[in-house]
Amino acid sequence: MTGSSNHIKHLYWRAGFGLTPQEWHSRKRWSISKAVDQLFEKAAQDKMLSTKVKNAKLSEVRMKDLSREEKKQLMKEGRQKLRVLRSEWIERMGNSNHSALLEKMCLFWHGHFACTTKGPKLAFQQMQTIRRHALGNFREFVKAIARDASMIRFLNNQQNRKRKPNENFARELMELFTIGRGHYTEQDIKEAARAFTGWSSNLQGAFIFRKRQHDFGTKTFMGRTGAFDGDDIIDRLLERKETAQHICRKIYRYFVSDQVDERRVAALSDFFYRSNYDIRALMRHIFESDWFYNPAHIGTRIKSPAELLAGIIRNLKVEVKDEKAIVFMQHILGQVPFDPPNVAGWPGGRQWIDNSTLMVRLNLVNYLVSGSDVNLRAKDEFEAAQRGKAFRKIQADLDFEPIIQAFEQQNLNDSFKELADYLLMAPPSVSKDFFDPFTIKQSRAAYLKTLSVRLMSLPEYQLC
Amino acid sequence: MKRRDFLKASALASSTLMVPSFLKAYNGQNNGSRGGKNLVVVQLSGGNDGLNTIIPFQNDIYYQSRPSLSISKGEVLKINGEMGFNPALKALQPLYDQGLMSIVNSVGYPNPDRSHFRSMDIWHTASNSDEHWSNGWIGRYLDSQCSGCQLAHHALEVDDGLSLALKGEQGRGFAMSNVNQLKKTTSNRFLQAIGQQHGLADDHHNVGYLYKTLIDTHASADYLYQQSRLHKSKVAYPANAFGRDLKQIAELMTADSDIKIYYVSLTGFDTHVNQKNQQARLLQQYAEGMAAFVKDLQQNRLLDDTLIMTFSEFGRRVRQNASGGTDHGTANNLFLMGGRLQKPGFFNEAPDLSRLDQGDLIYQVDFRDIYASIIDRWLGESSKEILKRKFKGMPIV
Repeated sequence: MTGSSNHIKHLYWRAGFGLTPQEWHSRKRWSISKAVDQLFEKAAQDKMLSTKVKNAKLSEVRMKDLSREEKKQLMKEGRQKLRVLRSEWIERMGNSNHSALLEKMCLFWHGHFACTTKGPKLAFQQMQTIRRHALGNFREFVKAIARDASMIRFLNNQQNRKRKPNENFARELMELFTIGRGHYTEQDIKEAARAFTGWSSNLQGAFIFRKRQHDFGTKTFMGRTGAFDGDDIIDRLLERKETAQHICRKIYRYFVSDQVDERRVAALSDFFYRSNYDIRALMRHIFESDWFYNPAHIGTRIKSPAELLAGIIRNLKVEVKDEKAIVFMQHILGQVPFDPPNVAGWPGGRQWIDNSTLMVRLNLVNYLVSGSDVNLRAKDEFEAAQRGKAFRKIQADLDFEPIIQAFEQQNLNDSFKELADYLLMAPPSVSKDFFDPFTIKQSRAAYLKTLSVRLMSLPEYQLC
Repeated sequence: MKRRDFLKASALASSTLMVPSFLKAYNGQNNGSRGGKNLVVVQLSGGNDGLNTIIPFQNDIYYQSRPSLSISKGEVLKINGEMGFNPALKALQPLYDQGLMSIVNSVGYPNPDRSHFRSMDIWHTASNSDEHWSNGWIGRYLDSQCSGCQLAHHALEVDDGLSLALKGEQGRGFAMSNVNQLKKTTSNRFLQAIGQQHGLADDHHNVGYLYKTLIDTHASADYLYQQSRLHKSKVAYPANAFGRDLKQIAELMTADSDIKIYYVSLTGFDTHVNQKNQQARLLQQYAEGMAAFVKDLQQNRLLDDTLIMTFSEFGRRVRQNASGGTDHGTANNLFLMGGRLQKPGFFNEAPDLSRLDQGDLIYQVDFRDIYASIIDRWLGESSKEILKRKFKGMPIV
């Protein structure tokens, strides 16, 4: 059974955001099948999404009807509420009462159906749509996204009308959301755009089918002719195996390794296609496969900023006082929920890393623990009237007690080994002695506390 | 002491003793500011209103479209018979008169996107407007350099975070708002020790890549800190953030630093409401900053080896809106400055306000033709590789 605790750690990191010290203690000897059951059971229980953000009636009014002051106030409120939604999500990812698997899937799909949303109401609504389908059926998921108000607005389907089709949604539907580049023609895009004409949303963010703007005529799409509507187009796209391949390649990259093994992807695609696009079955299949635990995959993935933050929260029971601080960290690390760089989502991998993001990542636990000066400026919003101020301090409560309880041993060597084993996917490249000048040994508690901070400052902690 | 010897000595004396890639770079040719051509990119974020920057003061359509926002003929600082500067750009006029400035009108790209984010991405990546690239043109320039000499600080952004433009497929530019701040973020003794311990990082695996980035960051931080102390500017810069950023760049350049490309931005140009004062304030900051910067480079004989490009992600609509501002538009003017401009003055004719596309200017010059010329003629690389397609370029330098 040696190495199996490493497999548990791998599973909980890839299918979630790691484990709290107590969870690690109680689960590290579990079998993989028991752990997989636990993950999926928890996900099945955790459906309802709540938020402390109140939907202001104001967010449903037409901007044109407002005075300048009202508009300004409304936008300010909107930004504030979006900040709350953004920090609530990270907190959910870091909170053991929620399903880590479900949150992880949502994060993946948010990067897949990447969409920038400026208003809190629509952002929350899209979040609910993603949650509903994150482990459901991919066909229903795509059809729901095609009806999602944020997406409709983001990809200009509001402007997709019979007389003047707008191809933006149809193009991204094919290029990014389903079949992928190289498997359709420009003519297919034009015809698909016609099928989605009139798919719009109202002021309240509900899907509206605007009959008078819909083109009921005959379309020829991917070799077939008929009076297709949007659902027909999606069905046709999913009939093509290339769609299953495109999605499975992306899932493989995200959950397994960015070195894609095309043989495995082909097998996964067959499985996904035969299951009629059952996401839950696909993920279960991956997590239960032996090859998922191949040592070459373990501890090789660079954590996304969301994973890094959620992981720290789980490790140290962090409570950040002000949502502005969380959103600041998201900004400076380069992953702000509801604001991906573009419709292709976050590129991930080494693209997360440059000199500035790496130094923030490595100093992050230090900033949280010591409340030391951060004094960094996130990039300015393009709408900003002037240069933003530097962010000074992150006010947060941390709790080292669980770590101290879980790893206190007679022998410091054992403590070191076990704590490193908990926090890192692979043993650190330096020995215990190396940490001596950087830790406090007056008490076991002090040692464990300072050692945790050091281990979490290692480049190795950036990997999962 | 020769510069290279000094660098070796100071690198050896610093905490980054065991950094092969850092030292290796200085065994080749001199890459300093005086060794070749420098590029400075100035980004005006938010979409600067080009029509109120360079003003077509003989154009009736301009005055009709902007009843309360236009700059009256009397106020315009006239450049020629039909065009003139916004009065806030007074400090630029001497530069223009000395032949150190070239104004390219109607710069844009096909199928323009009116979102700040998308349009800025398009400018940063040099993609078509329906493509989504995850790396930028300056980053890909770094990628095209010989491996081992692609030090991050070859392209330096004066900011705490790195822009997409400076992120390549392999290489990345370097971001720092100022050397003292950089010194602070890299002063964690534990991280320094960890980097030294790791010495020879192989970036084949991700963990090696992280270590290599850490080690290089420490090396660059030491290097930039030393360079920043070699020369103090004697020119008076305006006392604002933009002025301080430019001063820092000039000091690094004068110290003959191993930096080829500098990137700096000025934000606040999204003037939907009460544009006049806000834009004037920013344009004045811009003009006074640039005038000081150019003077500094001139005094230090760097201007002939420097090209400065100023751009914004888009211009604004021709017609003003109901709030005394302007909304997002398309084509815009772009400024080039330097001692070796091929065509100082107006590069091309004024935008045609009688031929609009849904109220917006129609671009005449694809910005990627400007990038292509900068890459081919100034930086001496292949624009076809870096821009991933062939652009004909244009005679700017």
